Amino acid sequence: MKTFEEKWTAWLDGQLSGKELAEFEASLPDKAAAEAEKRDVKKLGVLLKRELGAGVLRNEEFFSHQLRERVARESVEPPRKQAAEVSTWWTIRRLFLTGTVSLAFFLVFAVFVMREKNPAEQSQYLTQILNARVDPAISPNATISMFEAKEDRVTVLWTEGLQSLPADYAAK
Amino acid sequence: MCRLLLAFTTFFALVMSAAIPARADETVWSGLVIAQNVQQPEPIPVELTRIERPLKELFGYNQFQVIGQSHKTLKTGQEDWLATSKFFGLHVDARGESEAGYILNLKLYKEKELLLETDAKLSKRSPLIIKGPQVGGGQLLLVLIVR
Repeated sequence: MKTFEEKWTAWLDGQLSGKELAEFEASLPDKAAAEAEKRDVKKLGVLLKRELGAGVLRNEEFFSHQLRERVARESVEPPRKQAAEVSTWWTIRRLFLTGTVSLAFFLVFAVFVMREKNPAEQSQYLTQILNARVDPAISPNATISMFEAKEDRVTVLWTEGLQSLPADYAAK
Repeated sequence: MCRLLLAFTTFFALVMSAAIPARADETVWSGLVIAQNVQQPEPIPVELTRIERPLKELFGYNQFQVIGQSHKTLKTGQEDWLATSKFFGLHVDARGESEAGYILNLKLYKEKELLLETDAKLSKRSPLIIKGPQVGGGQLLLVLIVR
């Protein structure tokens, strides 16, 4: 069972016929006003078809124009890219070369600095006595001291009171 | 690009090899020395010429005789060796090497009797002198020098 709105839409579209058409038109309270509305709807339909058709046409032209421009742009781009590569100084290769040369300079200077610095540092190195001990059972009065003769770069462990030995012990 | 990389690698290797000096094997001279005052002193042994002045000034003797010695070439810094005379023995035990020198444990024996023990960091540029026991009218000295 169709509702009134369904029948109204079908009547506007001219899809009612026969008994159904006669019954629907009989049910309209103001047939003249309904006919006028039907005419307006048809006019609107014609208008919309015309306008929409023109719009689709414009879009096609627009997209065609866009595509043509893009194709033209892409066909021109490679030479422009090449031109850009040539004109830019900082290419990857040149960056690599610059980095290499900088690193080389750094290493050379680092080597010279290290070589100049090392002798001065090492000259401060003196032999160090970490600890010393004597057997108290053998040398109960022994004492130990240590000092450095810095001008001669000599370190001395000085013992006193070690067991004295006869001259025979000086034999080779 | 490959040639460039090769050139760079070669340059880097050369620079690094120059930066890290090749370490030659070093020799430690260990000596048992008797210092004495005599009328006609003998010339100082060649091993001690480097420290002749401090030896004479510090100990006050005019003659220095080597009664036992050892030349030990160190390769790992972990070697041990012995310098001996008829009655004395100096046992040296190297326990590692640093940039400054060698860590040594020294033991002075009179025959089998341990008289003195010490641990020292022997610098490659600084000799070590140890005053040992009195022997007759002289003095036993222990000397270690890195050459």
